[in-house]
Amino acid sequence: MRDGRRVFLRNGALLLAGTAALPGFLTRAVMAATAAPAKGKRLVVIFQRGAADGLNVVVPYAEPNYYAMRPGIAIPKDKVLELDGFFGLHPAMGGLKELYDAGHLAVVHAAGSPDPTRSHFDAQDFMESGTPGLKSTADGWLNRAMQAEDAALAAKKGQQARTAFRAVALGPELPRTLMGKVPALAISNLQEFVVGGRGPNAAPVSSAFESMYGESGDRLLHATGDSTFEAIRMLRATDPAHYQPNAAANYPNNGLARNLMQVAQLLKADLGLEAAFTDMGGWDTHQNQGGAQGQLADRLREFSDAIAGFWRDLGDEAEHVTLVTMSEFGRTARQNGTGGTDHGRANAMFVLGGRVKGGKVYGRWPGLADEQLNEGRDLVITTDYRAVVGEVVSRTLGGDLKAVFPGARLGAGLGMMKG
Amino acid sequence: MRMVRYRSRLAGLLCAVLISQPLLSPGVAEARGKAAKEPAKAPALSSDQRILHLLDRLSFGPTPESIAAVRKMGLYRWFEEQLDPEEIDDMGLETRLKSYPAMDLPADELLTRLPSGAVIRQVADGKLPMPDDAQLARIYRHRVDIYQDKQEKKAAEKTDAGMMMPATGPAAVVPTVSPARLTYGELLVKSVLGLGPDERLERVLGMGPHAYEEFRSVLKGAQREHLMDGMTEDQRELLASFDNPGKAVTEELMGQRLLRDVYSERQLLEVMTGFWMNHFNVYLKKNEEAPYYIASYERDTIRPMALGRFEDLLVATAKSPAMLTYLDNATSTGPDSAAAESHARRQALGKEAKGPLPGLNENYARELMELHTLGVNGGYTQKDVTEVARIFTGWTVDHAALGGEFRFDETRHEPGEKTVLGHKFKEQGQKEGLKLLHMLATSPSTARFIATKLAVAFVSDTPPEALVARMAHSFEDNDGDISAVLRTMVHSPEFWAPEAYQAKVKTPLEYVVSAARASGAEIPDPQPLANQLNQMGMPLYGSMPPTGYPAKAEDWVSTGALVERMNFAVALAGNRLGKIRTDWAAVTGAATDPAAEELALEQRLLPGGVSEKTRAATLDELGAQFPAPAAGARPLNENRQAARAAQERAVLAGMLIGSPEFQRR
Repeated sequence: MRDGRRVFLRNGALLLAGTAALPGFLTRAVMAATAAPAKGKRLVVIFQRGAADGLNVVVPYAEPNYYAMRPGIAIPKDKVLELDGFFGLHPAMGGLKELYDAGHLAVVHAAGSPDPTRSHFDAQDFMESGTPGLKSTADGWLNRAMQAEDAALAAKKGQQARTAFRAVALGPELPRTLMGKVPALAISNLQEFVVGGRGPNAAPVSSAFESMYGESGDRLLHATGDSTFEAIRMLRATDPAHYQPNAAANYPNNGLARNLMQVAQLLKADLGLEAAFTDMGGWDTHQNQGGAQGQLADRLREFSDAIAGFWRDLGDEAEHVTLVTMSEFGRTARQNGTGGTDHGRANAMFVLGGRVKGGKVYGRWPGLADEQLNEGRDLVITTDYRAVVGEVVSRTLGGDLKAVFPGARLGAGLGMMKG
Repeated sequence: MRMVRYRSRLAGLLCAVLISQPLLSPGVAEARGKAAKEPAKAPALSSDQRILHLLDRLSFGPTPESIAAVRKMGLYRWFEEQLDPEEIDDMGLETRLKSYPAMDLPADELLTRLPSGAVIRQVADGKLPMPDDAQLARIYRHRVDIYQDKQEKKAAEKTDAGMMMPATGPAAVVPTVSPARLTYGELLVKSVLGLGPDERLERVLGMGPHAYEEFRSVLKGAQREHLMDGMTEDQRELLASFDNPGKAVTEELMGQRLLRDVYSERQLLEVMTGFWMNHFNVYLKKNEEAPYYIASYERDTIRPMALGRFEDLLVATAKSPAMLTYLDNATSTGPDSAAAESHARRQALGKEAKGPLPGLNENYARELMELHTLGVNGGYTQKDVTEVARIFTGWTVDHAALGGEFRFDETRHEPGEKTVLGHKFKEQGQKEGLKLLHMLATSPSTARFIATKLAVAFVSDTPPEALVARMAHSFEDNDGDISAVLRTMVHSPEFWAPEAYQAKVKTPLEYVVSAARASGAEIPDPQPLANQLNQMGMPLYGSMPPTGYPAKAEDWVSTGALVERMNFAVALAGNRLGKIRTDWAAVTGAATDPAAEELALEQRLLPGGVSEKTRAATLDELGAQFPAPAAGARPLNENRQAARAAQERAVLAGMLIGSPEFQRR
C-alpha cells in the first residue's frame, strides 16, 4: 500500500509542479478532489504536559471537603463559571464556558489512566502509547487508530488516497502518541517548512537534498527524508505565508494558539489531515499555584482562549472536527506545603466538537470526602481515559478499538458523541 | 613536511577505504537496523575509522587537529589525556571566554552585576542599597526607573478601569511618531555613535528611560554593532546590563557553553559536563534567579566533578541552590518541624503568619530516586518518596532571590526516624541526607542506571547487555568513579564493534557543534547557534521537565528536524548565521574543478567518507545552481569570479553538512 501511495503522490507532485501557475483555489481543488478524507474524520488532540490540576480546572464547588483541603488555593463558589449545579469552570476559562453553553463542549471528570505511576515521564509515556503499565509498546494510540481505520477500509475493499499530512504534530518533535507505522509529520511552523531558504530560490537546493536522502542507504534518514520532501511540496502549494484566519477567530497571543491556528490552516486547506496533535506545558504546579488568580489561572486562560479561538477560526468546518484534551494524571486533592499540589490521579478531560453532545459533565463522580480518596490523597479514577478517547475515535476515524487499545476493557462508552 | 605526508597518507587511506568498501557496507547497515543480537557480519573497523569513532563519541566532533593528535598519540593515550583535563592547555578557549567576564562570578555577585528583576524591586522598595560603583549605580537607577514606571502604569490602569480616558503621560508610548521626535532620536544616535568608547558608555548610562527608549528604537541593525566598537569586554557587559540584565546573563551563559563545546581542547570534559547537566537537569526559566544559579551550577558543581566520583557529584547537586530551587526542596518544610509549629501557633493566636502553612514538597525526593540514581524501576514506593522528602527538609537556600548559598535550616527539618527502602535513618539533621545519598549512590540499581545511560550516550541506542553489565560492575568496583567506568567502556570490544560505528544520530546540539567544529568556523558571537537550537527543539538549559533531553535517534529524527538541519547547513556554509564565518577557500586550496573541490571539502567535513549518491547529489546541485557558461560568453571580471567561486564552495559545503552522513556520529 505504501508504494502505491508514493507513486500516486509522485504523480500528484508532478501535477502540482505543472499547476504552479494556477490560482491557489484551483490547486486546492485538485488536492481536495484527490485527498480529502470523509468529513468528520478529523481529530485534534491537546496534551497538557505536567499534570494539570483538574480539581481547580473543573471545580467541584458543591464538595465541602474541597474547601477544607485547599484553604489557600480553592476557587471560591462565587467565582466559578457555573456548569451544572455541582461543578464550575475556573474563572479564567470564559472561552470554554461559552462552548459548553452552546452545547459543543463536554467535560469528563475523574478520568485517568489505570497505571498508578506518579512519574511524569512514565505516565505520559503510558497515556500516549495507550497501554498503561506496558513499557514495550513501540507506537502510540493515535497512530494505531489510523492503522485500525486503514484495516477497516481494506476489509471493505475501499480506497482512500493518503497524503503526507494525514497525521501532523505541531511542534519540533514527533510525540509518542503519533509514533508508529502510519507516517506522521512534526512541524513547528508551517511558513518555515521549506529547505534552502525562504523565497523563490528554495526549490533548487530542496531537490538536491531530496535525491540525496531519497537514495540514501540509511534506512531511518531515507524514510524521514521522503516524507519531508513530499510534505514541503504540498504545503508550498497552499501558500501558508498568506493565510488569514477567520475574522471572528481572535486568537490570543500564545504558543498553543499559534499551534492551533496552524492546525486550522491545515484543516481548511484540505491537505488530508485526519489527526493533529499539539501540547502545552507549564502545568506542574508544585509551588504557588494560586487560586482564582495566579500561575494556574494564567495557564488556563491561555488554554481556554486558544481553544475558543480555534473553534471560531474553523467556522463551518468546526462541525466536522473533534478535539480532546488530556493530561498524564491529576494532582493531590489537598494542597501541599508550598502553596501548590503534588502528583495525583484522576483528572478532567474536555471533548469539543460538532458531533459532541456537549453542555454536560460526564463520568461518575467519586467524591472528595477523606474516605473516598485514593490512598487518602487523590481523586479516584472512575472512567478510563481510553474510554473517552476510544469513543471519540470510533465516532471519527472508526476502526477496531481492540487494536487501538489492546488489553483495555472499555465498556459501552459515555454516550458523549452524536450518531 | 610531516603534515603533507600525513595528509596524503590519510587521503590515500581514505581513498582506499572509499573505493574498496562503501561507508555503509551491507553488513553494517543491516546490523545497525536491528537490535544488536546477531553476530556482526561486517569487518572490523579500520584504524582510521577507529580514530573517527573515538572522536565522534568522546568529543563534539572530529577536526583536522584532533584527528592528527589521536593519530600521533594513539587512541588510548589520547583518551587518558582527556581524562586529565587540568593538564591540557586550553589557552585558546580561555581567550575567547574573556568576552564573558561575568561568567566567572559567584551567583550573588552575578546578581549584583547584572541585576535581576528581584534585585531591582528590592532596591526600588528601599530594602537593598544602591551599589557603590558609579557605573553600576547608573544601571540600577535606570532599571529602577523602568520598574517604577511600570508600577505607575499598572496603578493607573486599575483606577482608570472602565473610564474611557486616554492614557496620559510619556509612559504610554503613542504608536504614531511625529517627525520632530524622529529627528531627535536620530540626532541622539548620531551624536552618541560619534563618541569614543568611554564617552559613549557614559553617555548611554546617563540616559533616562524615555531617552533610552527613543535611542534604542531608532538605533538600527548595523549601528547596534558600532555602539560597542572599541569597548572592553567589561564595558560591553555593562551596556548589555543597562539594556536588559536578565537577557545579558542568559546570552552569556549560552554563549560560553557553545564556545566551550566548539573550541575547548578538553573535549571529553565538556562532553561529560553536558551529560551531567542533562542528567541532573535544571531549567533556565524556572524563576528569575535560575540563570544566575545555573552559571555557578555548571562551573562550580558539575564541571569540576564530571569525571570524578558519582557520589561527590550527587551530593554537590543535592546541595546546589540551582537544584534546590528547581525541584522546590528549598521551601519544603517538615510538618512537625519547629518552623511549622511556630507558624501554626501564630495562626492559632490570630496573628498574621507569612504565607500558607509550610509543608512537605516531594518533588526533589521523587526525582532524586527516579532520575538521578535508582531509575524508575529502582524498587522505591510512594511511601519511600515521602520519607526521602522528610529527610531533606531543611536543605534550603539562603535568600534565593539574592543568590544566597546552601544552608541547612534545622528549624524546617522534620524530626523523628525515617525509613527508606527498608533502611532506618535515625534523627541526625543534615547527616540523614548525606547518609541517604551514600545509600543511593552505592546501590547496584544506580550503578546499572548510570551505566545504561552512559552506554546509550556513547555506544548505541540499544547497547549490548554484556557491555552495560561490565560498566555497572566497574562503577561498583571503583566506588562510582566515572573515569573508571568510561575507561571500561572504551576498552570494551562493543565500543569498537562495526555496528556501533556511525550508529548514533546526532542530537541538535551535537549536530550544530560538530558542524561548527568540522567547518573550522570562526565564531565571534555564538548567539545564532543558540537560536538554531531553540528552533530545533533543544534550547540550552531549556528542558522544563527534570528528565532532561533524550538521547536516541527516534527522539530527534522527524521531518521537522530534517528541515531545520538542512536549513542550518545551508546557512552556516553560506555565512548567513550572524557573524559566524567559514573559510572554504582555505579547505579547497588550489583545487579549481568541482570534483576536486568537493573531495577536499568532503575530506574536511566528513573524513569517514560519503556515499556515491551523496557525492553525486552534491555535484549535481552545483551544476544546477552554477551551470557552465555558454560558449563564447564573456568571462566574468575578477571580483565576480571570486564571488562566484566562493558561492560554489558554499553550496558544496552546505550540501555535505546537510547530508544524511553528517547526521550521524
